[in-house]
Amino acid sequence: MSILDEGYRGGPNTSRDRPHGNLVALRIAVLALFGLLALKLVDMQIINGSEYARRSRENHIVATNILPPRGLIVARDGTPLVENTGVYTAAITPEFLPESKDARYKIYLKLESLVGVPALQIQAMVDQAEADRQGFLDIPIQKYLSKEDALILDEASTDLPGVKLTVTPGRRYLGGNAYSDILGYIGAQTPDEYKKLKKDGYKINEPVGKTGLEARYESELRGSPGISQVEQDAQGTLIQQLKTREASPGNTVKLAIDPGLQEFVTDLLEGSLGNANNAAAVVMSAKTGEIYAMVSLPGYDNNIFAEPEKHAGEYNALANDPRKPFLNQATTPSAPGSTFKLITASAGLQEGTITPNTTRNIPNAILYVKDENGNPYPLVDWEAHGTIDLYGAIGESSNIYFYMVSCGILNETKGLGKDAESSAVSLGYYARAYGLGQPTGIDLDGEATGTIPNPDWKRRNYSGSDFTETDRAWYYGDTCNMGIGQGFVTATPLQIARMTAAVANGGSLLTPHLLKEIDGPDGKVLKIAKTESKQVPVSAANLAAIRHGMHDSVNTDRGAGAKAYIKGLDIAGKTGTAEFGPLKKDGSRDQHAWFTGFAPYNDPEIVVTVYFDLGIGGERAAPTAGKIMDYFFKHVKP
Amino acid sequence: MTGAYGQRSLLRGWDRFDYFIVLAAALLVALGLVLIYSGSSRTYSGPLASFNNPVAKQAVFALIGFGAMLLVSRIDYHHLTHYAWVLYGIAILSLIVILAIGQTSFGSTRWFNVGPLQVQPSEFAKLATILALARFFSEHGGDAKELRSLLLSVAIVAPVTLLVFVEPDLGTAIVFAAIWLGVVVVAGVSRSHLLVLGALFLAVLPFLWTYTVADYQIERISVLVNPEEDPLDAGYNVIQSQIAVGSGQVFGKGLTNGQQTQLRYLKVPTKDFIFSVLGEELGFAGALALFALFILLLMRGIRAAQLAGDTPGQLVAVGIVVLILMQAVINIAVNVSLFPVTGIPLPFVSQGGSSLLSLFVSLGILQSIIMRHRAYRQN
Repeated sequence: MSILDEGYRGGPNTSRDRPHGNLVALRIAVLALFGLLALKLVDMQIINGSEYARRSRENHIVATNILPPRGLIVARDGTPLVENTGVYTAAITPEFLPESKDARYKIYLKLESLVGVPALQIQAMVDQAEADRQGFLDIPIQKYLSKEDALILDEASTDLPGVKLTVTPGRRYLGGNAYSDILGYIGAQTPDEYKKLKKDGYKINEPVGKTGLEARYESELRGSPGISQVEQDAQGTLIQQLKTREASPGNTVKLAIDPGLQEFVTDLLEGSLGNANNAAAVVMSAKTGEIYAMVSLPGYDNNIFAEPEKHAGEYNALANDPRKPFLNQATTPSAPGSTFKLITASAGLQEGTITPNTTRNIPNAILYVKDENGNPYPLVDWEAHGTIDLYGAIGESSNIYFYMVSCGILNETKGLGKDAESSAVSLGYYARAYGLGQPTGIDLDGEATGTIPNPDWKRRNYSGSDFTETDRAWYYGDTCNMGIGQGFVTATPLQIARMTAAVANGGSLLTPHLLKEIDGPDGKVLKIAKTESKQVPVSAANLAAIRHGMHDSVNTDRGAGAKAYIKGLDIAGKTGTAEFGPLKKDGSRDQHAWFTGFAPYNDPEIVVTVYFDLGIGGERAAPTAGKIMDYFFKHVKP
Repeated sequence: MTGAYGQRSLLRGWDRFDYFIVLAAALLVALGLVLIYSGSSRTYSGPLASFNNPVAKQAVFALIGFGAMLLVSRIDYHHLTHYAWVLYGIAILSLIVILAIGQTSFGSTRWFNVGPLQVQPSEFAKLATILALARFFSEHGGDAKELRSLLLSVAIVAPVTLLVFVEPDLGTAIVFAAIWLGVVVVAGVSRSHLLVLGALFLAVLPFLWTYTVADYQIERISVLVNPEEDPLDAGYNVIQSQIAVGSGQVFGKGLTNGQQTQLRYLKVPTKDFIFSVLGEELGFAGALALFALFILLLMRGIRAAQLAGDTPGQLVAVGIVVLILMQAVINIAVNVSLFPVTGIPLPFVSQGGSSLLSLFVSLGILQSIIMRHRAYRQN
C-alpha cells in the first residue's frame, strides 16, 4: 500500500463525524486583521505620508556648510595685516571604524606612526566617545599638523576607514607685535557664543573674531558660508553630490593705520622706554578722527591665540607678566596730569573767571594757604614762574595758576564756582564735554572710560562701612588736584588725543576710528568710515588762546614741551607729568609721562599723544612725540 | 484497494484541486522575488543565475516548494495525522537541540546549519503541532467542549510555545498560541472555558514577563512606543521602517527607487523588513494588492476547512490558515510599528528557503484536504 493511496483509515478512534466547526469567526478575523493593518497604512502613507517623505529625504541628505574665506584686514596702503591659513587636524569618526578590535588597533597604530599620538591613547579616546554614544562625531586626535604631514595623512586616510584630515580656517597675523592689540584674534566658538550666533546662521565649526577688529568687524569679515548637500547611504558612503552653493568670501577691512608709521612708533616707543614698563601712542587725524597709528607696549604676538594648545607656555608667561601685555595701553586710563590743564583753561575762559590776560605772580614754588579749618595748606608748583598769563601758564605748565583757575586760592580768589564742590562740578562738565569719563567710541571693544570725579561720585565711591564720612567728603584739595589732572582724574591716551584734536580743530570732538573703508572681495569700496563729531562748548577764540599757550610750550625756551620741537615743523603741545602711587623715601612719587600735541599749528593735520607709565613728560614723552610728527610729515603726508 | 476514487490514475482528483490557492501563492512568491531583487540590488551584484543571488536562490526554493506541494497534495492527510505524535516528538526534540547547538543571529537562536542550508526547526514544529492538535481533537469526540480535552490541548501547545519563546522568538510563540486558539474555537470550545483560561493567562503574564522575557524584548517593545528615545540602536529599525513605509505614500517611489531601501537604511530588507520595501517602493496601492492576495489565499484555505470531509481535515486546514494569517499579520505589524521587532518572515514573500518550503508543504496539505473531502464526508 502506497501512501499515495486513497482511503487511508487512520487511528482506531478517529472521529468520522461531519465537521461541525463554525468558520465565520475565522473569516472575520482574516478581514479584521488586514483591515486593521490597512487602517494603519492609511495613517502612515496617506495622512502622514508627506511628513515621512520629508524625513526620508533628510535621512540621506547631509548638508555641510562650506566655510568662506574670511575677509582680510589691510593697512591704509593695502598692506595685508593678516592671511588665511588652514588648521590641519587628524581626526577619527568612531562610527566609521571597522567593527573588529584588531582591525581598529591596526588603524590606531598606523595613525600613531603618522601623527605621533600613542595608539593606546587613541583607543581610549574612541572608547570614551562610544561609551558616551558620541561615535558619530569627529574626535580630534592631533591638531596643528604641518602642511606636509597633513598631505601624507590625507593620502593615507583613504585606506584607513574612520580616519580623516579636517581643515578648519585659521589666521596668521603678519604685522608682528605692533598690531596685536588692534587686530585681536579669531577662535572656535564657545558654547555660550554659539547659542547667540546660531541665530545669525552660524554653524559650530565656524571660527569667530574674539577680540579687537576681528571681533568688531566680524559681520564684514565673515562672508557668507556655502552649502554642500550630498546624498549618502546609512554607512556614510557618498552616493552623489546634490547641490552646492559656493561660499562667498568676507569683505576686506581697510584700516586708516599707516603701516610704516605704526612700525616706526612701535620701535620708537621701545627705544624710549628707559625705566618705563608700559607705553602708548596715538596718532590721529585732527580733522577726521581716523587713527594713523595706535601702539601699546609691551606687545605680544597674537599668533599664539591661533594655536592656543601649542603656545600655552607663552600665553601663561604673558598672562602672568606684571606689565599686563594683553592690556591695550592706549585705551587704559591713568592720571593725565597737566595735559588736563587744557580742559581747566577751557573751563576758566568759557566760564569767564579768567581771560587769556589774567596774570598771577608766582614768586615761589610753594604757596601756603589756610584751608577750611584754618590749617596751612601747601599749593605746590614745580618751579617759581614769576608773573605769568594764561599763555605762560600753559606753556610752562604752572600748577598754582591752574589751582587759581579751578579751585581758587583760598581767602583770595574764587575758582570756577562759588565753592570747591561747585567748582569741581563745573570742571567735570567741561571734562565730559571733551569726551573724558566716557568711551571715545573707537571701533575696538574693551575701551576703558576713565574717571571724572565730582562730589556725588566720591560719595558713591566711598560708600560702605569701610569708609567714614571724612573719606566721603569732597575737599578743596580734591578740586585743586582735579584742576591739574591728578587725584581722582584718570583718562586714556586715546581720550587725551581726542580732546587735543578738539582743541586743535576749533572744537570738533571727533569719534576716533581705525577703519578707513570696507572693500568687497572684488576690491570695490562698499563703505567709507564716516567722520563723526560733536561740538565742545568752548568758543573758537578761547580755543585759539589755548592753542597759543600750547604753541608756546613747544616753541619757547621756558616751555615745558620744548623737547618736542622739530625744525621745520610748527608743533604745539602740552606735557603732563602726573604723580601717582605712594610717597617714596625721598619724598617723591612715581610719575607718568605724557605729551599731547598737534601740527601744523596753523592748520592742524594730526594729533600725537604719547604716554609712558614712568617718566617726566617733557623729558621722555615730548621728544618722542616730536619724532613721530617728524616721521609723519616726512613719510606719511609729506 | 478500496476508496471513493480508487487508484486508477494519478490524475484523479485534480478537478477538485484549488487553483486559486496556487495562483495566490505564486503571485505572492513573484511579488517576493521582485522585492528581493530590489532589496538586494545594492548588496548583490553578481550574475543573475547564481546560487549567491538571493533572487535565484528564492526562485529555486519556490520551484522545489511547488513540487513538494504537488507531491504532498497526492498524500492522504490522514497519513500525516497518523504520524502526528511522532512528528510532534521530533519537533520538540529538535527545538531542544537547537537551544543547545544552534546558530545565533541578532540575539536569537533559531536554526541549524546543514551543509549550505539553514534549517529552522520551528517551521517544522508549526506543522507538527497543527497535526498533533487535529489528531488529538479528532480522537476526543472531535471537539473542545470538554474542559479536560481543552486542558490537554494546552499541554500539547505549551511545550513548543515555551521552547520557541526562550530561543527567544516572541513572534513564533504568539503564532503557536494563535494556532491553538483558532483550532479550539473551530473545535467548538465553550466560551466560559476560554474566558477562564484567558483570565488565568493574564494573571500569569506578569510572572512570565519578569522571569522569561529577555531584556532585548522589553527594549524592542519600549522602542515601539517611543523609537526616538534610542534612534541608533533598538529604535533604529522601527524608525527606518516607519520612514520607509510612510514615505511610500499612495503609489510608492517605484521599484528599486526606494531610498530607504536602496541606501541601506533598512536592515534585512529582503527578510523581516521586506514589507517596508514594498510599502516604500509600491506604496499603499502595492500593500493593498498584497493584502488582497493574502485574503484570497486565506479565504480559499478557510473554504478548504469548510469543505473538509472530517474533523482532522477541518482542524488541520484551520491550523494552516491561522499559521499563515498570523505570520503575515505579525510581520506586517512589525513593519508598521504595531508590534515589536521580531524575526517573523512574511509568508511566501520574504527570502528564506525553510519558510517557503514549509509553506508550500502546508498548501499541499490544504490541497489534499480539498481533493479528498467527498471521500470522507459523512452523511
